[in-house]
Amino acid sequence: MAEGLGNRLNELRGERGLTQAALAEAVGVSRKTINTVENGVFVPSTLLALKIARALERPVEEVFFLED
Amino acid sequence: MTTSDIETADRLSRRRARALPLFAVLFISQQASFIAARVEDGARSVDQVKIAAWLVLSVIMLLLLTTGGFWFKPRPVRQLLDDDVTRANRADALRLGFLATMAAGIGTYLLTLAETVTGREAVHLMMTVGIAAALLRLGWLERRAHRDG
Repeated sequence: MAEGLGNRLNELRGERGLTQAALAEAVGVSRKTINTVENGVFVPSTLLALKIARALERPVEEVFFLED
Repeated sequence: MTTSDIETADRLSRRRARALPLFAVLFISQQASFIAARVEDGARSVDQVKIAAWLVLSVIMLLLLTTGGFWFKPRPVRQLLDDDVTRANRADALRLGFLATMAAGIGTYLLTLAETVTGREAVHLMMTVGIAAALLRLGWLERRAHRDG
């Protein structure tokens, strides 16, 4: 089983005209955290995923999804 | 937490990522000079100074590895510098450092079968390998985390 966590962070961030730094500020984390989550380098905790989704005003399952 | 805090933390985090491999080189070179000199009894004043310098540097490197450093920065900046990603990277680096220390211990044990190794030399060898491996790993992980930004 090789499932990973995909995300639409870049796309949704772009739609809202947010830079990584602006989203980082809204979530209360570093820009590095947003960068690593967006690039799939770091799998966020449930808490962080929910905070990101809330900052983007989207349901969490719209931001993150399982990829086969 | 302000935009300024985010920018400051980003700048400091990049600086830390660049500095970690340099710290590892500095640490290794200091140990290399100790091993080359074969300081054994520590009776001379200069030897005492070398041992003290090694201990101080080792403690500083260990504190840097376990806390992330920047101890005198404001709390919001320190929190950003010690966020989820950094903590995960640090845990990974410390795990590798532990494994490297164990490997160095096994290597040192095998070395004692061929030649005499003092306790102090063994400790130096194991700590050098363990701390340097962790510093290099953390530096690499942090640089990767900043990539494609």
